[in-house]
Amino acid sequence: MTLQQTSTPALRRPAKRRDRQRLWQEMAMIAPAFLLMAIFLITPFLLSFWTAMTNQPLVPRPTPVRFVGLLNFERVFTDPLFWTSLWNVTRFTVWVLPLQCGLAFLTALLLHQKLPMQNLLRGLFFLPAITSMVVVCVIWGTLFQYPSGPLNQIVGFLSGGTIQPIDWLGDPNWAMFSIVLLSAWQAYGFQMIIYLAGLQGIPEELYDAARIDGASALRRFWHVTMPGLRPTHVFVLVITTIQAFKLYTQVAILTQGGPNESTETVVHYMVRAGFEEQKLGYASAVSVILFVIVLLIALLQRKLLRRFDV
Amino acid sequence: MGNRLLSALFASAALVATGGLAEAKTVVHVMHQGDPGWVKAYGDVAARFEAANPDVDIEMIYAPHDAYNEKFSAAVMAKQLPDIMELDAPFLANYVWSGYLQPVKPLIDKDLLDDMTDSNIAQGTYPIDKDLYAIGLTDSSVVLYGNKKYLEAIGARIPKSVDDAWTREEFEGYLEKLSKLEGVKWPIDTFRGYGIKTEWITYAYGPLLESAGCDLIDRKTWKATGTLDGEACVKALTMMQDWVKKGWVVPTSSGTNQFYAEGQPAALAMGGHWFYAEASAAMKDNIVVMPLPKIGDKGVSPNGTWIWGISATSENPEIAGKFLSFLLKDKEYREYAKTQSAYPGLKSFAAGSPLYAEGGPLAVAFEQASKTAIARPPHPAYPTITSAFMQAVDKIFNSGDAQEALTAAAKKIDEDIEDNAGYPPFDEQQ
Repeated sequence: MTLQQTSTPALRRPAKRRDRQRLWQEMAMIAPAFLLMAIFLITPFLLSFWTAMTNQPLVPRPTPVRFVGLLNFERVFTDPLFWTSLWNVTRFTVWVLPLQCGLAFLTALLLHQKLPMQNLLRGLFFLPAITSMVVVCVIWGTLFQYPSGPLNQIVGFLSGGTIQPIDWLGDPNWAMFSIVLLSAWQAYGFQMIIYLAGLQGIPEELYDAARIDGASALRRFWHVTMPGLRPTHVFVLVITTIQAFKLYTQVAILTQGGPNESTETVVHYMVRAGFEEQKLGYASAVSVILFVIVLLIALLQRKLLRRFDV
Repeated sequence: MGNRLLSALFASAALVATGGLAEAKTVVHVMHQGDPGWVKAYGDVAARFEAANPDVDIEMIYAPHDAYNEKFSAAVMAKQLPDIMELDAPFLANYVWSGYLQPVKPLIDKDLLDDMTDSNIAQGTYPIDKDLYAIGLTDSSVVLYGNKKYLEAIGARIPKSVDDAWTREEFEGYLEKLSKLEGVKWPIDTFRGYGIKTEWITYAYGPLLESAGCDLIDRKTWKATGTLDGEACVKALTMMQDWVKKGWVVPTSSGTNQFYAEGQPAALAMGGHWFYAEASAAMKDNIVVMPLPKIGDKGVSPNGTWIWGISATSENPEIAGKFLSFLLKDKEYREYAKTQSAYPGLKSFAAGSPLYAEGGPLAVAFEQASKTAIARPPHPAYPTITSAFMQAVDKIFNSGDAQEALTAAAKKIDEDIEDNAGYPPFDEQQ
């Protein structure tokens, strides 16, 4: 390293040219990605922001498209259903976050041990995550059936018949919780993989040192594993939060936002406005608002990651 | 475009290969929905038509029922409208107003047009120019099915015709008695199992509300506020909410077969005419078919089903009309329709349909078409009208406040109409 810094000026000039060359090379390499981002991310967002300020219908209509300013935003913000749907995704996030990440963390810890057929086990636990959500929803829809679906039979059996069958998807008090259960189960494999990678990233020497110092397994967990996983925790929590805010498929298939709006989510609300009621302008306004919410979460993520020195 | 381009390429390739001997076929695209049985029936008709008209290629495009309107919108956006499309009758006004359909009278065989029942003509007619834009073999209705054994056990009066339908007092009285009857888990199945975002809600529940003096929108001023959120609607929906609260109605998550399921836990079923086939197969003679109850002064029943229109952009409207005429006259297609207890929209089809003839088990359903059927609001804002209404019904059936839910729905509908400048010329309809 130090050798290069003391190299002669004669050698530096071609190095400079190389630098410039490298800059061009790097720009050329970034260009396709930037172009794609411009086409598929930036332009659509600008377009949707513009559409949000018009009364654009989904399909062409005989009446002219007008610029309506912030009317759509005003309507979104004064629609109680929008606030209900925002509250619902928040509720969903608060429930799914500990459940999904906790489950992922525990299985990752388990699968990090030296078990027989480790890879096979890892694959098995990862299986739900690669199964299509649509398929998962159809299967769980059968499990949730009221009054005599498998889940109710299990609950009845375990409680010795004291717990009455639960209308998992049809009772406003239960519907969102049922979706939380199914979502956490379907997606925890993704977080599990990240945790596994995090666990493998902790140097074995730290454990060895702790062992020499006489630390018990529990102490090793608290003082080596947990600090070592701090950036992983933050990353997993933030990613899961953002995903949770985009909850749609499960709702679209199983409850369509009901019963009594208890599972209506922001994305489902947006699709309903855009496709069923054919109000593209209005739906765009919702999408812009959702974008801002997700952006705020992402900014929070950056801040947190910095604090944890990652 | 891809398909058309491909078939054009294919055709020109064939042309070259045969040295210009073969002529390029005219391709007619037909977009439709339906369960597998119907899909097969349509496909078979298309094959027979192609056999009779070797220069025509019928391309069937299947779009699933649940996402049909979304798929249709996508086709419009991509400028890929099919030549012929199946459409749900209440959406007709929206399609015609938007300029997607062309009048079919000049394109369809005259004897078919003369053969149409009044309610079939009504479902295919655009209210502004009174022209016919779509035609179908069938129409539809909803009736009240009863489990004979249970009804006899509570000594219920069984109406024989639309004129002596149950009154609200009778209806609620019987529900109450049935709820206490041994073997009955739920007095009535209103098919909430179809889901909370399906046309069923507007189609089947709307008439009960109209019978009680309510409506989805004022059909003269085309304003929902003051009508949908008015006293009559609030009262009527509160009444239905009450049935649910009392545990009289089969819940959404229990599927749609509680009427004939093991042990027959539902005593009554407010079901479509198509439900008869499955129910009678399971229950044999233990089933009675009755008219919908009269909630208020007059009985009201729904009509309208999936019918066939020809798109305004079709390059071969004559051939499209020829195919539709062929389809509606096809014997085997009609035979299949009969096995599905299809509701006649053509007089000749009705005549050959013992289910609906005088004395037939579904005669009452057919009687409703001429005596009590009222179409859903034929207005271009219908997609929003029905979506807003479904939303309100779901809220109310799950203990939400009726007035609040209906006010929100009415506001949403009026906003949509306002956004489209009153959907001229509907704004002049006073």
